[in-house]
Amino acid sequence: MHPLRHPRNAIAVGLFFSLVGVVYWFVQYWADFHADIAGVTMLILLGVAVSIMAYVLIAGSPND
Amino acid sequence: MASDSHALTTQEHSPVAGLAHDQRGGISNVVLGMLLFITSEVMFFAGLFAAYFNVRANAPQWPPLNVETGEAFHLEILPLVGPATVLLILSSFTCQFAVWGIRRGDRTAFLRNIGVTFVIGVVFLVMQATDYILLYEEGITLSAGTFGTTYFTLTGFHGAHVFGGAIMLAVVLYRGLAGQFSARHHDAVEAVSLYWHFVDVVWILLFSLLYLLPGKAPAAV
Repeated sequence: MHPLRHPRNAIAVGLFFSLVGVVYWFVQYWADFHADIAGVTMLILLGVAVSIMAYVLIAGSPND
Repeated sequence: MASDSHALTTQEHSPVAGLAHDQRGGISNVVLGMLLFITSEVMFFAGLFAAYFNVRANAPQWPPLNVETGEAFHLEILPLVGPATVLLILSSFTCQFAVWGIRRGDRTAFLRNIGVTFVIGVVFLVMQATDYILLYEEGITLSAGTFGTTYFTLTGFHGAHVFGGAIMLAVVLYRGLAGQFSARHHDAVEAVSLYWHFVDVVWILLFSLLYLLPGKAPAAV
């Protein structure tokens, strides 16, 4: 298996997407805007969903 | 090639890719379907969590005041939440022991552990129902303001998922007793265990959110 196709890389993909949610919160906090808590929560948990989907794509691909 | 002769056919590949004996890779349809379903469930609960956080963030204090009693809601009255949480976490272990048992062809260990998991799931539901009765007696109902609404929506939907998981476990237990699973054919067991672990993780998040996260004091006037 190619190293990039290892299932554990799905976690890295999920963390990247969750990081978008953290940045989204930080920008609001830094700029002193009204924090969109619902949006931040959805973005962070979207990372979990994307992580599972990445696992499906990586692990579901045949080796040959 | 010699290695190809040992490769599993499309129908016989392991339920979860990455197992040592799986030469082809890939993932079974049952497990794939369950993973897609869990992904959609993650976003479903994300919406509920987002609603809870939003309501909490915009409330002047949390838990808010009960409009009927004039006192802040408190969940310390629930005696069974802690034991129920421990039991549900324990059930994830027994579920995984069942998966490991059937993977190595040990049907006795599989049936024993999947049976225990099912019983724990039912006990959890009974405990949750008991807690609901206590809350209603304290005036914390579904219509008692935003706190009651979000609390019962979150825990109620989770309870519905535990109920669904218990039905899945019962089906797997029945099929196991009928001898339908073996070390090579147990996709349904793998899929149900994934779902059960998901339900467990959601409860840990819910428990942390509802019972462990400190409340918010009202702003000084």
